Parts: sequence; structure tokens; C-alpha cells
Amino acid sequence: MLTTCPERLAFSYLRPGSVDEALAMWAGQARPAFLAGGTDVLPRARREGGIGALIDLKRIPELDRIEQGGDGGLAIGAACTVHRVAVHPLVRERYPVLSACLSQLGSFPIRNRATLAGNICNASPCADGAPALLALEAVLELRAAGGAQRTLSIGDFFRGPGETALRPGELLCRILLPAGSAGARGSYQRLARRRAVDISSVAVLVARLAAGERRHRICLSSVAPTPLRAVEAERVLDAEEPDSVERAAELAMAACAPIDDLRGSAAYRRRMVGALLGRAVDELRSSRQTGVPV
Amino acid sequence: MSGQGYDWVGQDVERVDAVDKVTGAARYTADLKFPRLLHAAVVRSSLPHARLLHVDLGPALSVPGVKAAVCGRDVPFHVGIYLKDQTVFACDRVRYVGDPVAAVAAESPEAAAEAASRIAIDYEPLEPVFDVERGLEPDAPRVHPELGRYECVPWITPEPGTNVCNHLKVRKGDFDAALKRCAHVIENRFAVPQVQHVPLEPHVSVARVDLAGRVEIHTSAQSPFTVRHLLCACFGFKHADVRVIVPHVGGGFGGKAGINLEPIATALALRCDGRPVRVAVDRSEEFYAVVVRQGLQASLTSGVDENGRVIAQKMRYVWDCGAYGGYGVNVVRAAGYTCGGAYAFDHVQGDSIGVYTNRPIGSAYRGFGMQEIHWALESQMDAVAREIGMDPVEFRLRNCLGPGKATVTGQVLDESAGDVATCIRKVACGIGLDVDRTDPSGGGPIRRGRGMACAVKAPAMPNDAASSVILKFCEDATLELSLSGVDIGQGLRTVAAQYAAQALKLPIESVRVHNLPDTHLSPYDWQTVASRQTWATGNAVLRAAEDCKRQLLETAASALGRPADALELDAGCVRDPDSGRSVPLDRLVMGYLFEDGHAVGGPVAACAHFVPEGLLFLDPETSQSKKPVAKWTFGAQGVEISVDTRTGEIRVDRVVACYDVGKVVHPSLIRGQTFGGIVQGLGTGLMEELVLDRTSGRIANATLADYKIPSSLDAPRMEAGFLETPQADGPLGARGVGEHTMIPTPAAIANALVDACGVRVHSMPLTAEKVLAALDAREAGREGGHRGS
Repeated sequence: MLTTCPERLAFSYLRPGSVDEALAMWAGQARPAFLAGGTDVLPRARREGGIGALIDLKRIPELDRIEQGGDGGLAIGAACTVHRVAVHPLVRERYPVLSACLSQLGSFPIRNRATLAGNICNASPCADGAPALLALEAVLELRAAGGAQRTLSIGDFFRGPGETALRPGELLCRILLPAGSAGARGSYQRLARRRAVDISSVAVLVARLAAGERRHRICLSSVAPTPLRAVEAERVLDAEEPDSVERAAELAMAACAPIDDLRGSAAYRRRMVGALLGRAVDELRSSRQTGVPV
Repeated sequence: MSGQGYDWVGQDVERVDAVDKVTGAARYTADLKFPRLLHAAVVRSSLPHARLLHVDLGPALSVPGVKAAVCGRDVPFHVGIYLKDQTVFACDRVRYVGDPVAAVAAESPEAAAEAASRIAIDYEPLEPVFDVERGLEPDAPRVHPELGRYECVPWITPEPGTNVCNHLKVRKGDFDAALKRCAHVIENRFAVPQVQHVPLEPHVSVARVDLAGRVEIHTSAQSPFTVRHLLCACFGFKHADVRVIVPHVGGGFGGKAGINLEPIATALALRCDGRPVRVAVDRSEEFYAVVVRQGLQASLTSGVDENGRVIAQKMRYVWDCGAYGGYGVNVVRAAGYTCGGAYAFDHVQGDSIGVYTNRPIGSAYRGFGMQEIHWALESQMDAVAREIGMDPVEFRLRNCLGPGKATVTGQVLDESAGDVATCIRKVACGIGLDVDRTDPSGGGPIRRGRGMACAVKAPAMPNDAASSVILKFCEDATLELSLSGVDIGQGLRTVAAQYAAQALKLPIESVRVHNLPDTHLSPYDWQTVASRQTWATGNAVLRAAEDCKRQLLETAASALGRPADALELDAGCVRDPDSGRSVPLDRLVMGYLFEDGHAVGGPVAACAHFVPEGLLFLDPETSQSKKPVAKWTFGAQGVEISVDTRTGEIRVDRVVACYDVGKVVHPSLIRGQTFGGIVQGLGTGLMEELVLDRTSGRIANATLADYKIPSSLDAPRMEAGFLETPQADGPLGARGVGEHTMIPTPAAIANALVDACGVRVHSMPLTAEKVLAALDAREAGREGGHRGS
């Protein structure tokens, strides 16, 4: 039966001042959820039939920082908005790939609200925050009540649509960008039905590290249950042979597992992985970058 | 100095509602506060087609805070503007997912939702009809077995015993004989899906029935008087007991024409002891539950002679009217008598057929069927030109209408009908179709192309559709203007003020368009649809102004001791040109007081109306008529696109539009209308389509996340030009153009795609995936051709 009436959600709202306090609040609530930007948590709560408590992370000072890590990398706090990350001088200078990808996420109002941490914790197969973090081999700093702390590679984080390796009550506190990935350049190619504020139908990031043997990174989203890297295809690009791009495209197409949905058929999406990979390599070689960082 | 500086028509005067809208002071229906307001929840069918066996309202009434619950058996009344095929709630059958079955009114939205969820409904599922092909089969389930018993206006012709809710036939000349003489015969099929209007403000209505039985409706609607009339026809109220007020409206696009949520709100309000009841739809329901644009399947056959003249043209337009055709039957009719578009075909066989299906209700949408038939017709004209090896611009010029040429209904156009040939030439020149072009991409993956399409539309309305206005002078010679045309964003109130100020030689700041439409206070207007308001209301304003002027001159004649016809209205006064003596307006508008104390005249005010003259019904068998419609507006658009042949993506880079509007009344507003229409046309052309889940009968993309309309980044560079061939019965020559601006865009894009890479897509929208499939099919064809040779 269909009825006319917006369902209103009833829940308690909590605003901790520290990570420890936030983790303790989680333990004391029925059906709790962490609130970062809030662009996904309420639609998700409606879909899943309600929510008990929202624990707002935005006023926790330690989560609201972007700072240099001890190893020369960069640490991004979980409460940092997408826009803030995209325009941060250190991000633009050292991780322009991340800046380029994030400036294609949603719209200004969404980027001013949504957080990068929230974008990946939401674990949408189409998350625009994921490809760059996969390419940069970001490391996630997770904490739980009682002082438990662990780190996880972004490559081990996504488990399925909406599913991550986070344990109940565990909080993603910081996203660490390794020093070794600094200086990577990339081209993020994204197909959507319109030019802004649309979930991608297919997205391909091709990035090249500043130095090293295995320099290429190929990251795909919207074409599998999770965002993923096409590692075999990367190795082919590394080889830089005359037919590398065509062979990499074939391998990337084989690596994905798209579905038919409102945004496109599986066959089209698979083929577009190859087409966008070609477009990205062209752009990289012409030494331009998409999504001019804002 | 007479008249100088008061030529307001043609100037960019400030919108009368600019400050209210910019500051947020303008109030829309949902902003209004009502004491003791009750909130409604509507229970809608979850099945596309089923017999409705029983509705049990009992459990809803026991929910705390519930005031009333109502279903079909309580108000078994028919409603509809042309064909009364719908009841307020489904009575014995549901016909689409979203069909209203029952509703409750309660103290809070939560209580209403809770009560609605407890209403028990027994259905017996029936086989649904999801497309027109199935609907036309002899053994198809009947969506309306009672079709023959519905009340209907005489110029709509349903076919009882079938799913056909209207069928208009155009027969001109001898198509079959002419076709035999043709050097080329070209056939094509085209399709348009159902789409949504997506107004910024979803539908909302508030109804109150007081204890004396008087009805008051506040509603987001395009047509307060038509809401009143249809509501009275439905419930049996006296018109004078019903007051319909339309506050500011956040976009209509046809979706708020006719009557929509008002009967549901009224049915509840009748049971709520004088308390107001608000019915609103959320964004998701807006997509499928109220009204949508009809789908179209078109088949066209063109017979062309050696000189590139189309001498025989067959057009079959089959419309997906959805579950109810109350309004949509007239889209079918309009598409029929306009079936030949902007062209003069001598031998015509046209059929426009409306078919019921178990999909959302097809209804009015900006263009009223014209974008859909132009998608087919303008794609066909381009395809025919290419096939016979003629330049598509030249081909259009050889076949287009113009003075002395006859439409498909045999109407011979006169000099005042507008100049489509010049529109075609200007657009071709503006977009660069007139120059020798070599593809600058040089065979790279990005291909560029240019294309054009024409547009024509007449107002589709009853022959006696009226607009009226009231003008009243205040003591200080400022002027109050009252009208019931609805300013749905097009700027009608501003335009009305321009006409009044110009006719009475007043400063524009002296004219106030005070009240928003209110059937108790403002004068009758049929509907704000059909691109008719500037033309119809503009005429009514000029007539009322003429009456005011006569009153002013008569009073001044007494004051000056001169005959009225020797005097003239000048800026701020009435003047005797012979003596140079004058009387200021503020001494005339309330009557003139002589020095000895006696008075003449009185408060100056006038009410005037406009109804088009000389219209004649169509012949029922052939649709021939010398004047089937009040006026035509012609135009054309040219587009320039880039196509990424690796992905199939189309980017529209530039659009050039030209319309013959008779008179540019307000340059900024008409540019805004044109640019808005182009972007709306681009949306339907590239990305919009309501997708049906054929298992459940539900619309699968009924959210703004899944159904996309263009963003500002999708808007191309746009240029608009206008011709001013005066309309004989237009106010200072003006004719309507609001809808026309979105008609040609999709076809022009499709034609540009052919220009860019040689493939034609026959169904809207032109998604990247469809374009790529067409490119693949061409490659496969080439390889096949190569192997074959």
C-alpha cells in the first residue's frame, strides 16, 4: 500500500567533544549511528526503518584537522568536508589526484556538507572518494571503545554495497595518505547522465606515481559491488608497450562486474571501462588533468 | 510629447513580483498557515490493474487524532475536463500504481500516515496493459469497460468497447493516389516515453467547507476558475459558494492545469466540520501519482516528388494516455489537427489515437503534444531530405507553410500568421548550417554536428475560452489591475501592467497588479495554459483601458466644455489640443468637481474580456476547417553538438532559436522563456524518461536521484531572435510563445547527431548508451555491406 505522508524519523541527537566520548556514547545507545556530513545517514536510516541515536562527530577537534603525518604523508580527520579536503593547499600540492576526483563529487552544497570519511564509510559502489584513495593506497585509522586501535589498508575496507570492514562501534578517525604516493598525477573519467549532481554510471581513475617501478594505478567505480583496483591492467600500463592501453583496457573490463540498472546496462558499463581508461590515458599523456581542483 | 516615454510594451520593465520573490516574501500554498489545519494522507493503489473488492476504513477511524476517512463509495462522482472518466477515488477498479483509493484527515501527519496504513483493501488483480500496442489488440484487457457511459464534450470521440479514448482523423486530398505518383517513399517510426514535469513546487491543495456549506480552496494550480467549475460539476456545489484562491505557484508546465488534488481535499473537508484539510504530495509521488506527459509511438510515411516537394504524407500518432484521459484526450486532438507541423502537405492521411494503459495519467505538459509529434515529424523531414540528397534546410523551405498555403485541415494562412521560412533561414545561418562545413575533428573520437528543427503550435482550448480583467483608478490616478491568469513564472502580471500603462499613458510604477487570482474577487479566466495569456489577457487589458479612457474623456469633456472626441489622453492628463487646456487625471478619476460645487462623472473603472472570434469546429470525418484554432506561432531552433564516439555522450554546445512572436512585449522575459524552454527540451531530449517496472507496474525511477533533469552545467550557449509579424487579433500584434520554446530541441539534437556521425536515433531520450548502440549498428551494417559487395 502506498500512502501520502513523509515519514518522520525520531531519534536522539548526541554531540560528543572527543573520540573517546563518541565511542562511549555508541556503546550506550540502541541503534546508534555516527553523523559526519549527514548527506547519506538520514536517507539510509529511512530505508532501513529508523535509527535510535545520531552521534555527531563534527564538533570533535581531533577529527577536524588535516595535518602532516610523521612519515611525511598527510592525515585527514573524519569530520573534514569534501570541499575542505579538495581545496586544502597540501592536498592540491601533493595529492592533486584526490583533489581532482573530489571536485567532481556532487555539487558545492553537497561537498560543503559531506565528508570524505563519510563518503567511503557509506561504501557506495559509486563513491567518488574511493578511486583516489585506492590509487594513493590510503591507510585508515580505526578506533573502538576501550582504547582499541588498528589500521587498515583502503584496499581491505570495502566488502560490498554499503558494507565495510568496520566492526560495530568502530570509528574511522583519520585517513592517512602515504608519503610515497605524493606527487601522483591522474585523470578521473566519469560518465553520468548529466554534468553535475549525478551518481556516476561508470568511473575510471588512471593515476601515475611520481617515481617507482609499479607506477600506474587503475581504479574503477560503479562497475562492481565495491570500488576496486584493476591491478593486472596496471602492470600492463607499467610496461609501456605500444599496445599497452588496449591490453590494459581489456584487463580492466575483465576485472569489473557491473550490473544492469537505471543508469546503464552491464554490457555498456563494462565497455565504458575500456573507453574511459583510454580517455584517461590520453589525458594523462597530454599532461592535463580533469576536474580542475577548485 | 503625446505618448512619448510611455511605450512600455517592448521594454524590460521590472517584474511586479521581483522584490517579493527575491526576498522570499512571496508565499506559496504550502507556506500558508491555517488555524486548526488537518493533515491528509492518501492511500494509493499498489497494483497497476485490479478489481477493487472492498475498502475497510474502520481501523483508520480508531487511530487517535483521526478526524475523517473517505473512499470511493462515499464520493462516487466523476471528474474530468473533457472526458469524465475518473472518480475522486477509485470505486470498483484501480487503473495504475498510485490511483487514489482512500484518504484520511488527522491532527498530525503522523496520525494520518498511521491511519492510512491501517486501511484494509481487497483487490482482485487483473492483467495490466503497459503499452499502446497491447492496448490496441482486440483481446487486450479493457482499462475502462464503462467508456461508452462517460460524459464527454462533443469534439472528443472515444471508441467504446476498446481502449481508445479519442481518435482524430485528418483526411485531405487523396493520399493513396498521390503516393503512387511519388518519386520517393520513405517510412520511419519514432517513439517518445512518458516524462514528468518536475515543477519545483509539488502539488498541494488546502480545502475548507464551512458549516454553511461554502467551500474555500487554496491550491497550487494554473486555473482557479476551471478548478471551481470542475469541482462544482463533481460535487454539485453552486459556483458562487466555491472560492478558489491561487497563491504564488512554483512552476506548472501543464501539470497544474485542469483539476488535480482539489477533489480529494474537498471530499475530506466535507467531513471535517469546517476545519481546513491539506493534501500534499511528496517529490516521489509527484513523479507518478498526479499527472505525467503522455508517451507516443509515431509512424510516418512521406511521398516526395522529383523537386523535393512532399505531396503525400501519412502520420499515425498513437498516444499512451495512461490510466485516465480526462485532459489527455485533448492532447490527442491537438496533435491530430497539427499533425503536419510547420509544413504544407497537399495529400494527408493523419490519425491521432489515444490509448488507455495501466500507467500514470498522461496529461497536459508544456507544448501539449507538440514536442512529441515534432520529434517524429522533424526527424522524418531531415531523414527524407538526406535520403533524396537534398540539403535539409532547403527541403524545409520548399515544404514549409506560409501566407497563401494551406494547413492539413485546409486552413489557408494569411499574412498575419507568422513567417516560418524566415525563422528557418535565420536559424540555419545562426548555427552555421548555411556554410560549407568540414568536420574539424578530422576523424577523431569527438565529432561535431549541427542540426535544426521547426516548431508550430496553436492554443488547444475550447473555442469560447475567455480571459477578463478589471481596471480601477485610485484617487491619485494610480491604477489597480485585477486578473485571474496565473503567473506561474512566465511574468504575466508584469506583462498585463505594461499593456495597461501604455494604453493609459501612465508611468509603469502607477500600475499595481494587486491580488493573486481569487474567484471571489478577480474576474473570470478560463485557464493559464496554451501559451494564451499574453495574447488573451493582453487584449482584455487593452479593451478595459479603452473603456477607462472613454470615461476619462467624457468627464473631461464636461470639465472643459468641449466634445469628448476633440480631446486626447496625454501623460497624466486629458488635453484639449486646440486650446492647450488640460485637466490632470487625479481630478478626473473620481469624477470632476466644478468650482461652483457640482460634480460630474464618477470613479473610473472597467471590466473587459477577450474571446477569440470566428473559430469553426473540425469536420468530424476529415477534420477540415477554415479556422480550427485562434492562431499559430511558428519558430525554429538550430543546435550544435559534440559527440564522443567512444562513449556515445552528446554535449549540446550551442542552440540558436528564432520565433515569430508578433511583438516582443518584454525582451528579458521572452529570452528567459526561450532559454528555459531550450533547457527543458534538452532534458527530455537527452535524459528524461519514466521507467516502468513491468513486474510491479511501478515507476522505477520516481526520485530526483534516479530521474535527472538538466543542471545549469548542462545548459548550452543560447541565442534567441524574434520576428515581429503582427498577429491580427494580438494585443499590439503579440502571439503566444511560452510552450513553443521547448518543442524543437530534441529533434534538432537528433538531426545534429546524424550530421555529426551519420546515425539516427528514433526514440527519445538520446542517452549515451543508445547513441553508442546506433554507432555499433552502423559499423555492423558497413561490415555487412562490405562482405556483401
